[in-house]
Amino acid sequence: MGFLSVVANGLSMGAIYGLIALGLTLIFGIMKIINFAQGALLMVSMMISYWLWVATGLSPYILVLIVAPLMFLMGYFSERFLIKPVIDAQKDVREPVSVLLLTAAFAIVLENLCLMLFGADYVMAQTSFSSQTLALGSVTVSAARFYGLIIALVVAFLFYMFLQYSQTGRNLRATGQDRNAAALMGIDVTKTYAIAFGIGTALLAVAAVALIPFYYVHPSVGAVFMTKAFIVVVLGGLGSVPGAILGGIIIGLIESVAAQYMTATLTAMLVYLVFLVVLFIKPTGIFGSPYEW
Amino acid sequence: MRFRNKRYIGLLVALVFVLSLVAGCGGGGGTDKEAAKEIKMGTILPLSGSAAPLGKIGQEARDMAIEEINAAGGIKSMDGAKLKMVYSDSKGDPATGVTEAEKLITQEEVVLLTGCYQSGVAMPSTEVAERYQIPYFVDVPSEDKITERGFKYIFRLAEKTSWRNKAQTEFITEMSKKYNTPIKTVGLIYENTAWGQGAVTAWEKYLPAAGLQIVMKEPYPANSSDLTPVVLKAKQLNPDIIMMVSYVSDAALLTKTFAEQKVTPKAFIGTSGGFADPTYYNLAGDACENFFDISTWEPDVNRPTSKETNEKFKQKYGYAMNAEAVKAYVGMYVIADTLERAASTEPEKLREAFAATDLKSGPAQMYAAETKFDETGQMVNAPIVICQYQKVNGKMERVTVYPQAEARPGSQIVWPYPGLK
Repeated sequence: MGFLSVVANGLSMGAIYGLIALGLTLIFGIMKIINFAQGALLMVSMMISYWLWVATGLSPYILVLIVAPLMFLMGYFSERFLIKPVIDAQKDVREPVSVLLLTAAFAIVLENLCLMLFGADYVMAQTSFSSQTLALGSVTVSAARFYGLIIALVVAFLFYMFLQYSQTGRNLRATGQDRNAAALMGIDVTKTYAIAFGIGTALLAVAAVALIPFYYVHPSVGAVFMTKAFIVVVLGGLGSVPGAILGGIIIGLIESVAAQYMTATLTAMLVYLVFLVVLFIKPTGIFGSPYEW
Repeated sequence: MRFRNKRYIGLLVALVFVLSLVAGCGGGGGTDKEAAKEIKMGTILPLSGSAAPLGKIGQEARDMAIEEINAAGGIKSMDGAKLKMVYSDSKGDPATGVTEAEKLITQEEVVLLTGCYQSGVAMPSTEVAERYQIPYFVDVPSEDKITERGFKYIFRLAEKTSWRNKAQTEFITEMSKKYNTPIKTVGLIYENTAWGQGAVTAWEKYLPAAGLQIVMKEPYPANSSDLTPVVLKAKQLNPDIIMMVSYVSDAALLTKTFAEQKVTPKAFIGTSGGFADPTYYNLAGDACENFFDISTWEPDVNRPTSKETNEKFKQKYGYAMNAEAVKAYVGMYVIADTLERAASTEPEKLREAFAATDLKSGPAQMYAAETKFDETGQMVNAPIVICQYQKVNGKMERVTVYPQAEARPGSQIVWPYPGLK
């Protein structure tokens, strides 16, 4: 019975890791950019969600209707005015690392900006369900985490359908597979890139509202999830949506279950060990395939 | 005649010249005497970087004490000499701390050093002072080793880290007897840093000696994304007492998760750090009710002059003191007492005066009834209090509950942990 609680917790945390990794995997899959600002953008989403929650008192889950479009615009325009000029400038360079450095710098700017604006204090949204638990039979799960699991699964499913069946989704996938061919077929690649970055950032807003009822917000909170998001993405296969969710759940389960048999410090090492083993056996990750999109 | 006159004039000029020189010297001697009326001391604090707010409050506490001492007539045995503090910034970095100590001693020529918040900075910077044979008054750093290296010029006002773990053990034993709740097992949850490891070493020494069995030893990486696995493990092993070492983010996460999973040992006991952070309550909310924490001073502690001084500090700077600020403040009074008895700024005389300290009156009472150092320079009676998060008039407060003599008047200990309502 205790064991089922452990599994339930692993599942819900894992799904949230997966949700955070979704944006990363999308941006990589389409733009071939490793976005180091992902953690910082998550932090910004959490900050905005938290302060909106303080100002309005609405449930954080409703606030996603404001935060997600806001973050989409932020992602869209930072691609337009920050990333695109650098991509264009390095068009003919074989290994364009400038974009990678740019996203890292962007992260530093965002973190310090928030440090200036909001200070270094830790804050947490004490919602009505923050300390509640759901008892499903003998299994106890934190309510906020359980809602997080449902949100992650629903959003991942909707996102997958969107990629598969909508015109924008098809444009995105086509650009990801071969941007020159896509451009020749009449797809506006510049706009598609901006949309990809915007959606990748908006997904973080969803993760943010799922997190703030039970996790603290702080200018450096991005770093806590950033490393995990990278592992999740590589484990599941760079560019794969189901891979991100599955990778997240695997990491969540390892953390939760293994911690019952060893110390939490060793568990953190085990995560990396599994990661290494997967890379040895299948370097492209579980769902990884160059033709995924 | 004209010739002789000329010689006279020459002599006169020479005389005037010599006289003015002597006068000049006299004047110089005068300023020297002025300088002796000011006793220059140096303090190393983290005034920039992430620990800057902690350094700032330490500086403010010192300034307030020095102002008071000077206004009351300075050091009377030295013709009312005034205290003057030179602050230098360690940035919280050990290497910078060493350079700053060197600079304060050789360039500023301070008579003694104080500081320096972090134990990591105190360790190497006290070595510099020992080498120059300049007294170093360590007011806040608590790492055991600071006074265990056989140094002659180091005196520490703060408690040793391990004393807190010892006090926690004594507290458990006493409560177990008082409330007739048999306590057999203890679970330890701590971040896997030098701080956490140090606490565990001390616990492993004191807990089994008190007949308590450690059934769970769980280190976790600081700033974890999820501590539910650790909490679930504690739920399964079900120790009578859960003791924790955490910074504020993990402390809040642990507290909330314990509440979620409805873990109910006889008591939760924190080890200062995150549990003493003012943001801890904001993060953990009502989940922290009835959690214990350990410290050396609390705003409500029942000690002479404590309330008045804290009130004055609040008026002056806009926020309350904390245990570290109190140590910094009281430290200045211990130094003033030492200078008074030494009646000199010579390092050797100062050192002897420090060693002979036996302070039983004045503002130092807000920290300890008796300030005294042993042969290693360690303050013998460093006080330790235990407080409990309790709701007072609907508001969560840290209520000092132990030891009895220093507890908030009218307060009651909640033991065993009743669970969350």
